[in-house]
Amino acid sequence: MATTGDPIVASGLRKSFGRTRALDGLDLRVRTGEVHGFLGPNGSGKSTTIRVLLGLLRADGGSAMLFGGDPWRDAVALHRRLAYVPGDVTLWPGLTGGEAIDVIGALRGGLDPRRRAALLERFDLDPRKKTRAYSKGNRQKVALVAALASDAELLLLDEPTSGLDPLMAAEFQECIQELRQAGRTVLLSSHILAEVEALCDRVSLIRLGRTVESGTLTELRRLTRTSVIAVTADPATGLAAMPGVHAIALDGERVSAHVDTDRLGDVVSYLAGLGLRSLVSRPPTLEELFLREYGVTPHEPSVAAGAPS
Amino acid sequence: MTSTTTTSASLAGTRPTSTRPSSTRPTSTVVGTVTLTRFMLRRERFRIVVWSLGGAALTAIQSVQSQNTYSDPGDLAVYAATSGNTAAIIAMSGPPVGLDTVAGGIAFELLGWLCLLTALMVLFLVVRHTRSEEESGRAELIRAGHVGRHAPMLATALTAAVCCGAIALGVLAAALATGLALSGSLLLACAVAGAGLSFTGVSLVAAQVLSSGRGALGLAGGVLAVSYLVRAVGDVNGDGLSWLSPIGWAQGTHPFTREQGWPLLLPLVAVGACGWAAARLLDARDFGAGLVAGRAGAPCASAALGSPVGLAWRVLRSTFIGWSVGVVVAGFAYASITNSVETFTEQNPQIAEMLPGGAAGIVDGYLAVCVTITALLCAIYVVSAVLRAGAEEGAGRAELVLATATSRSAWLGGHVLVAVAGGVVMLAASGLAIGTSYALTGGSLSRIAPLTASSLAYAPALLVMAGAATLGLGWSRRVKALAWVALGYVGLSAFFARSLQLPDWFALASPFHHTPELPAEEWAWPPLAGLLAVGALLTLLGLLLLRRRDIG
Repeated sequence: MATTGDPIVASGLRKSFGRTRALDGLDLRVRTGEVHGFLGPNGSGKSTTIRVLLGLLRADGGSAMLFGGDPWRDAVALHRRLAYVPGDVTLWPGLTGGEAIDVIGALRGGLDPRRRAALLERFDLDPRKKTRAYSKGNRQKVALVAALASDAELLLLDEPTSGLDPLMAAEFQECIQELRQAGRTVLLSSHILAEVEALCDRVSLIRLGRTVESGTLTELRRLTRTSVIAVTADPATGLAAMPGVHAIALDGERVSAHVDTDRLGDVVSYLAGLGLRSLVSRPPTLEELFLREYGVTPHEPSVAAGAPS
Repeated sequence: MTSTTTTSASLAGTRPTSTRPSSTRPTSTVVGTVTLTRFMLRRERFRIVVWSLGGAALTAIQSVQSQNTYSDPGDLAVYAATSGNTAAIIAMSGPPVGLDTVAGGIAFELLGWLCLLTALMVLFLVVRHTRSEEESGRAELIRAGHVGRHAPMLATALTAAVCCGAIALGVLAAALATGLALSGSLLLACAVAGAGLSFTGVSLVAAQVLSSGRGALGLAGGVLAVSYLVRAVGDVNGDGLSWLSPIGWAQGTHPFTREQGWPLLLPLVAVGACGWAAARLLDARDFGAGLVAGRAGAPCASAALGSPVGLAWRVLRSTFIGWSVGVVVAGFAYASITNSVETFTEQNPQIAEMLPGGAAGIVDGYLAVCVTITALLCAIYVVSAVLRAGAEEGAGRAELVLATATSRSAWLGGHVLVAVAGGVVMLAASGLAIGTSYALTGGSLSRIAPLTASSLAYAPALLVMAGAATLGLGWSRRVKALAWVALGYVGLSAFFARSLQLPDWFALASPFHHTPELPAEEWAWPPLAGLLAVGALLTLLGLLLLRRRDIG
């Protein structure tokens, strides 16, 4: 576990715009070679964090390190080693898409022409069109091609697939898998949880400018509950007395409940003692993690008039 | 309706309001016009005030200046005899009618410019609210609502009409306040509003024809230029050709002299016909499309484009070309009357006193004024070109550049460099145009090179103006006012300090004041070197400030 060598280390980042507090003690650590998911609701500070990491904004407090350097002071040198795709890509209306790709690439320090051609093909992008004629998705593809055709060690991607259709989003996922195999590091801010679940080694969940959870998906799942549905020979009436068991719905021999993941073993042993006939256990999806962190309780077995559990 | 669910606040509680058959009946295509008009006026409220004040200021300055200059009947007679018989002056101003009265002279010199001002206002306004809205995708949001297909267009026309009315009110107020007659002032104001309406129609059509806002502006601007040219030819020949130009219609009302009202009907017909045509064009095309399709471009960027300077040049290129053409034409037009100015001022010594060099060097003095005017136009270009960097930042394109291995200083510095270099090229071109025009209209060929040099003497002053704009941007991308105020001050002190009887110290801070007015004055290095130093310092300060602030 390298610490000083991590490409992104931010701790206690604070940033305010007037009276709005965009970042309020945010922590983020991205390790070399990982695809790191960066999750949070709209306005939680994802883009602000990325802009601080790019040295476009100066943090009011806390520290941010990019490749061990200061993203504000050493911006230009650090930017040679990274590529960025903004969440809302705007391009020069008089340039064609191909020209825009080359401009971004050249200003970074050049891009691989063969990879550029291959990516244009994969993303089905016409480089001869003026960028003013592009849709949001096509503008995003321009920034993506420019970033992916570079040899950057680190990619900062701010909701890169928000304008892409499912086919292109799948193509994007494949590109990221290839990058991971090539040992590159990716910070992927996204709303599309399935995408993060499929791509990311580790995730950071942020809310109101603060990191609420960070770790591998397995670690995060451990913090939450597994849904269990069982059919037993004898009714599982003792379940209610066990610690870490929630939202029990007992219907004769069929029982469903949410179990704290670290109590799962105890519950399964208890159910086995009752004569277990069928058992379905499902780990929480990222969506459930997300909704739980952000204050919505998903899929309660009994929807008792929205009463909080 | 008694509902079993009591979730009145939730979305489930609101049902689609009506399923009556009448809702499927085709509704009017102008539904929502009133709401949209109010919304547009809300977005335009500051600009309306500024344009209106601009119209009032132009009117007041011209009125006061003419009344001061021609208070003596003898002077007025000379003015009428010379201006009324000089083709170049007629081409620039309007039909030479009633020049033997002070008010007639005011209308002669003022009305064409007021028409240009109003036309430019509606050009920008109409394109901003039609094609540019469509290009940005915002119009889609509006059109998806309960809004008729023609409503945005109609609302734009109404908003433009309100703005024309506001300029007219400004003109009327200034005319009356400076003591001009009521009927003539009313006619003057209505003629200006009428020209605005005519070009509202032109812009509505242009916005339908081309698929980009910039293209539409160019097309409508071209029609405006041709209109001015057509009336220039018509007024010089006196053959009625001017009636083909909306500006000719406005001037055909002859405020303060013949005073005929019927030409005011022509703009109403024009805006109606153009509006109808624009609506048909809108019906015939898809949302977002134009009648003229965009061309395919280069699939790869040239090597030159991939640098901050190359990119800035690409961003500024079309603006630069447009301004250059305008400045060259202006320089050519102004210098073409140099020789008639000589005869004019021989009989009218008061005018000569207003020129640098006095009555003795009248030709040199007039040429020096021509150079100053075109240099000021170049300065306006340089300031707006530097401020484009702020617009790039606002649009998020600076972020894209600054996230690459491009420093902030290189980005803004490249932009300033391209802006200033463009301004210097423009100075050379306008000096060349002035010299050539003078030579062609009977002057000496040997003056071309010195006039070009005298125009280039304003290069350090341009750097100072660019420096002021850079300093503002370095502080915040929203600080554009600094540069515009500086520009207004320079223009005021260069051209109106004497006629408005401002104190001598007023011009001291103007870089134009310290530039030797060649060929009327002697060449002097020290002030130019000083200006260069100030300009470089301001620019550097701006670049340093930019390194300290947030981007975006």
